[in-house]
Amino acid sequence: MKTTCIKNGRVIDPANNRNEILDIFIEDGKIKKIDKNITDKADEVLDATGYIVTPGLIDLQVHFREPGREDRETIETGSKAAIAGGITSVVTMPNTNPVADNQAVINHILKRAKELNLINVFPTGAITVGQKGERIAEMWEMVQCGAVAITEDGFDVQDEGVLLNAMKYAATHDILIMSHCECENLSQHCGMHEGWTSTQMGLAGSPGISEDLAVLKNIYLARESGCRLHLLHNSTQGAVEAIRDAKKRGMKKLTAEVSVQHFALTDEVALGYNTNAKMYPPIRSQKHVDVIIEAIKDDTIDCFTTDHAPHIEPDKICAFEHAAFGSVGVETSFAVANTYLAEAGHIPIEKVISKMTIEPARIIQIDKGTLTVGAEADIAVFDLTKKWTVNAQAGQSKGKNCIFDGYDLVGKAVHTMVKGDLKMKDEQIMV
Amino acid sequence: MMHQNFEKELLEVRNNRDVSYFDLLSIDDLTIADIQLLMDLAQKFKETKTTKLNLCRGRSQINAFFENSTRTQSSFDLSGKHLSIDTNNVGSASSVKKGESFIDTAQTLDAYNVAIIIVRAAQSGVPEQIARHVSASIINAGDGWHEHPSQALLDAMTMLEHCGQKDLSGKKITIVGDIKHSRVFGSLVRILKKLNAAEIRVACPETFFPRHGENFGITKYYKVEEALKDTDFVYALRVQEERGAKSVIPTLREYSRTFGITEARMKLAHKDAILMHPGPVIRDVDVHSALVSRHKQSHILNQVENGMAIRKAILWCAAQRFDGKVKPFEII
Repeated sequence: MKTTCIKNGRVIDPANNRNEILDIFIEDGKIKKIDKNITDKADEVLDATGYIVTPGLIDLQVHFREPGREDRETIETGSKAAIAGGITSVVTMPNTNPVADNQAVINHILKRAKELNLINVFPTGAITVGQKGERIAEMWEMVQCGAVAITEDGFDVQDEGVLLNAMKYAATHDILIMSHCECENLSQHCGMHEGWTSTQMGLAGSPGISEDLAVLKNIYLARESGCRLHLLHNSTQGAVEAIRDAKKRGMKKLTAEVSVQHFALTDEVALGYNTNAKMYPPIRSQKHVDVIIEAIKDDTIDCFTTDHAPHIEPDKICAFEHAAFGSVGVETSFAVANTYLAEAGHIPIEKVISKMTIEPARIIQIDKGTLTVGAEADIAVFDLTKKWTVNAQAGQSKGKNCIFDGYDLVGKAVHTMVKGDLKMKDEQIMV
Repeated sequence: MMHQNFEKELLEVRNNRDVSYFDLLSIDDLTIADIQLLMDLAQKFKETKTTKLNLCRGRSQINAFFENSTRTQSSFDLSGKHLSIDTNNVGSASSVKKGESFIDTAQTLDAYNVAIIIVRAAQSGVPEQIARHVSASIINAGDGWHEHPSQALLDAMTMLEHCGQKDLSGKKITIVGDIKHSRVFGSLVRILKKLNAAEIRVACPETFFPRHGENFGITKYYKVEEALKDTDFVYALRVQEERGAKSVIPTLREYSRTFGITEARMKLAHKDAILMHPGPVIRDVDVHSALVSRHKQSHILNQVENGMAIRKAILWCAAQRFDGKVKPFEII
């Protein structure tokens, strides 16, 4: 039985309301003991003096591209990138090839993740067959296989009749629906926020109203159906106002996330036709960013994700309007949240960690995101004061399309442990 | 020899001056001194008409038109030839169609040691993206809905010629039409601001107005008659059906009734006002047919002539520098 002791770190475990300097003793993949000055002999001792020790981060939205686009990313490279960012659990989106709309793909992803034994991979299945928005996929079967939610990923089911039926069916089996909110007739997949920046650049823009209306639609349909609904990557003032209002009215089954780029950046990052800034939903203007940060403060927004979206070079070296959507993010998400929220004085670090650990765990109802004695030892150790400059080319991900490339950030993962195994030690991936 | 006299005079006008930019991508790239230099040279080039000048012998220019063009391409091409630049045309049937990235295409063309690449693209930003990766000077000949700087320069030249001023202070300009999908507007509004125009009015239906367009420093009018009152310049834009204007107005007929420039509407403007249009004109839609070419207030063909002169000035400044500066770039 392998034992590890993480000593003298500031243990921040929001689920247990803990924030103090403690030792953690890990045995057989589980947290055995948390206390001051543990003297039990361990096979490996990690000195975490000056660092914070947190539950391993959980990211509810990543694209690991396997099966189908292994040139962009694989479960292996994506998992290593996650480890480098202190992330120990990810939820993968179903826009693979073939689409994860059946048990075979779900099984494949879980089998690969198990063989690799790097991080916890939780797949999702598509709402409709082939993400075509027409026929409901076998969601019960996929959940039986291990899918934690059903989502159309980057599409919003445009036919409200289909979406309502999918939600009613999900409610029948207590299945979580995750919705990307967009009225496609209003946005036409532009990748740029419609505003002064898009006007100056001569680019077609996606107006905020496209997301606002879709959020309202999803909330109303979920209320009608009684299903659990999680809203992916919210980015507009109208979206968070609708969510806040619904929560105030007591809609307990509604949760919402924001992807870290949507509170850290404004649409001006696209100036110069920076295709890495082409995002889905688009990076919004300062007005929306300010509202998003308020919604994080008052917990209208439950958790943070990355929407990690790796691409190959030709998908981004092209005209802005032809470029692929998204940025890689798992290696930078903690640093971005720390820099732009905690260091910026918007929220304390405990809240940042809560929204990247216990809150996402609650949403997908997994027994993770805590440092409770007896829990599986998914643990991240961060140097909260470390200043570093993002170098996308040096990243673990196959995708070098990082919107934060060249940014100076504060806070970096030092050690990452998954189920008691050290996957990264002193910033070096161990596998 | 006439060409030698012209060359001497042009060198005198140029007086060893250089433009501050390497690539002409946006009017934002231009200083007031740049505009002045280009205007001074263009006035002189206008006198040279079709004279073959020996100014740029041994230089090469590629017209990379990834989107079709009639007047801009022919005008850049002829202008280059009049300056003794060897010109070559790359059309939309190029390797881009075979799947090559336009940046790779541009880097290939650049390897021919050309001095200038003129870029026209249907997508906004393509010239700017290319410019970062080639040694040649990139001249934006129109990109998406973004900008068309040489058009704005020739428009400014036409306006300054008409009013006999160094800038547009005290002058009111009324722009009518689809400004949302118009790169001509994108450059025009920027140069009008740089030249201190007293008032820039825009008349169009809301569907032709871009988000936060008022930040350009323009006043929006829904009634064209009000926008035209006492204005010094009337600039009509074409309804750009190919660039997304479909289904935002009911019909061209109704647009013509509500916003088309007619003789009666033109009378609302200042008596010395001139009518301008970047072409191609859709007669009886943007502009009433009788106003297009023969009307005394129409300067539409004058604009075309000035286009040749201004493009020669742009090309000469790009092909020959007196300050010895070399453009930095990064091959990818």
